[in-house]
Amino acid sequence: MSDWWSGASIRVRLTTWYTAVLALMLVIYAGVTFFAVRHEFHEQLEDQLHADAGGQDAEANPEARVEQELREILLVLVVGFPPIVVLAGVGGYVLARRALQPIDHLGAEARRINAERLHERLSVPNKRDEIGRLAAVINDTLARLESSFQQLRRFTADASHELRTPLSVIRGIGEMNLRETRTPAEYKDAMGSMLEEVDRLTRVVDSLLQLSRGDAGTVKLSREAVDLGQLTRDVVASLSILAEERQQRVHVDAADNVLIFADRLVLRDAITNVIDNAIKYGPHQSTIDVRVHRDGDHAELSVVDEGPGIPPEHRERIFDRFYRIDEGRSRELGGTGLGLAIARWAVETHGGHISVDGTGRGSVFRVVVPLAVSS
Amino acid sequence: MLVVEDERKLAHVLSSALEAEHYEVVVATTGEDGFYRANAEVFDLIVLDLMLPGRSGLEILQTLRQRHIHTPVLILTARDGVDDRVLGLDLGADDYLVKPFALPELLARIRALLRRGRPADVLRLKAADLDLDLVARRVVRGERVLDLTGREFELLEYLLRHQGHHVSREMLARDVWKEPRRATPIDNVIDVQMTRLRKKVDADGTLRLIHTVRGVGFVLQEGEP
Repeated sequence: MSDWWSGASIRVRLTTWYTAVLALMLVIYAGVTFFAVRHEFHEQLEDQLHADAGGQDAEANPEARVEQELREILLVLVVGFPPIVVLAGVGGYVLARRALQPIDHLGAEARRINAERLHERLSVPNKRDEIGRLAAVINDTLARLESSFQQLRRFTADASHELRTPLSVIRGIGEMNLRETRTPAEYKDAMGSMLEEVDRLTRVVDSLLQLSRGDAGTVKLSREAVDLGQLTRDVVASLSILAEERQQRVHVDAADNVLIFADRLVLRDAITNVIDNAIKYGPHQSTIDVRVHRDGDHAELSVVDEGPGIPPEHRERIFDRFYRIDEGRSRELGGTGLGLAIARWAVETHGGHISVDGTGRGSVFRVVVPLAVSS
Repeated sequence: MLVVEDERKLAHVLSSALEAEHYEVVVATTGEDGFYRANAEVFDLIVLDLMLPGRSGLEILQTLRQRHIHTPVLILTARDGVDDRVLGLDLGADDYLVKPFALPELLARIRALLRRGRPADVLRLKAADLDLDLVARRVVRGERVLDLTGREFELLEYLLRHQGHHVSREMLARDVWKEPRRATPIDNVIDVQMTRLRKKVDADGTLRLIHTVRGVGFVLQEGEP
């Protein structure tokens, strides 16, 4: 019974319920009516008996007649009951089918949508009823799925491009140098350049591994109280030689005791990437302004350069994996295209936020992380 | 020296590199063979791959230590999860390297392991007419006293300690800059610093001591690499 029940369609279950409830109501209604009528009849009969007590009654047996009439009424009620219930059931079934039809329709539409056709959406016949709202929710989910699928696809394509380029260079150098005998110096040069590509490949793989660990959530942060100002000064000190080469000035303005609860190494990576970026893209003899200060319950680190800035249309995606504004330039500078992606992961895993904007000249990178709660 | 590595190409590369450094090398390509040899013969050092057919590297290591064979062991692994490392070191490995590793790095680690236990009472490091005094922190090239920054001094000291051997950027980042992670910015920092150091050390241009080995790193030696 329970198997049949859970196996039946909503339409059948709805109709069964509805019919059962209706039948019960009818039985109660009929019963109450019948007994009320019978009671009324009996009272009338009693009154009549009192009234007729004096004279001779014309009728032979009024009691029998009343009983006869009551039986007829009961017969009508009993005979009428099944067809009414059946009619109501059929009506209910048709109604339920009509009401539920859009769901079947929705199901059929949804079945057509798969990974290859994620751009398709369900049709929404009436936005305001329950089914319309359901369809809207499903469409919303589809849209999010589509965008993450797209991101994944782009990432896979980019990653294979990034990995294939050094591979084809290595292959090319190997094949070219095997074609004819060369001098030892030439061979050394060829091998050196192969090793450089291997190095690049290794770095891309390492970075990808780091990011995929981040995605999988398997990175354990070893958090401690970290003075963001001090950490920033450390990073600037270690990178200052690069700025010197470009005759840039890195100006650090850090408030004291901006304490955050963070994994020092992970966060250091992020800050290194951001400041290195400013040095790389800032012009010769320019100034880079680094500020660390408290803002409410957050610590904020901002890095302002005087570089070309990042056009608004790129700002959203600059933190995406392998996203490059200028493909050739970035490669020439030796980047893996993953530095800022790792920075974003590092900041977000600390419950923070990294963003870029810029007004006119240069760009402003901003890292915001929650302050350590002083216990 | 025993090399236990199942990937034949890599085993070959390792043994030729070690032989080029004048070590005697025995290669085992299965866990069983490696285990048997490590038990039967006496080695100065064992280079042990962790993922082996038959008997895993960790098992071999564990059994050796249980039998009180304390030959230094350097493990090679393709997995760089912290747990694997800790497990290996806990079981008695002396050092580990994650694949893909650089040969100079492997050779440097091996030298360090073989040197272990001997006193390192070096107060002066020399190469040709270059003289570095660790106590006075003074560097002289020929007649010239070099004016080096702290970082440059440490860098030169490191190169001198590995004199005649290749030094990778990874080694420099870790040992001189004390950067726990490898990152592109640090590589650039190393390159710039090295250029500056070279300008000071090889300024007179008579005999170049610091050389760049393309694709590998740097080396300090008298002749061309």
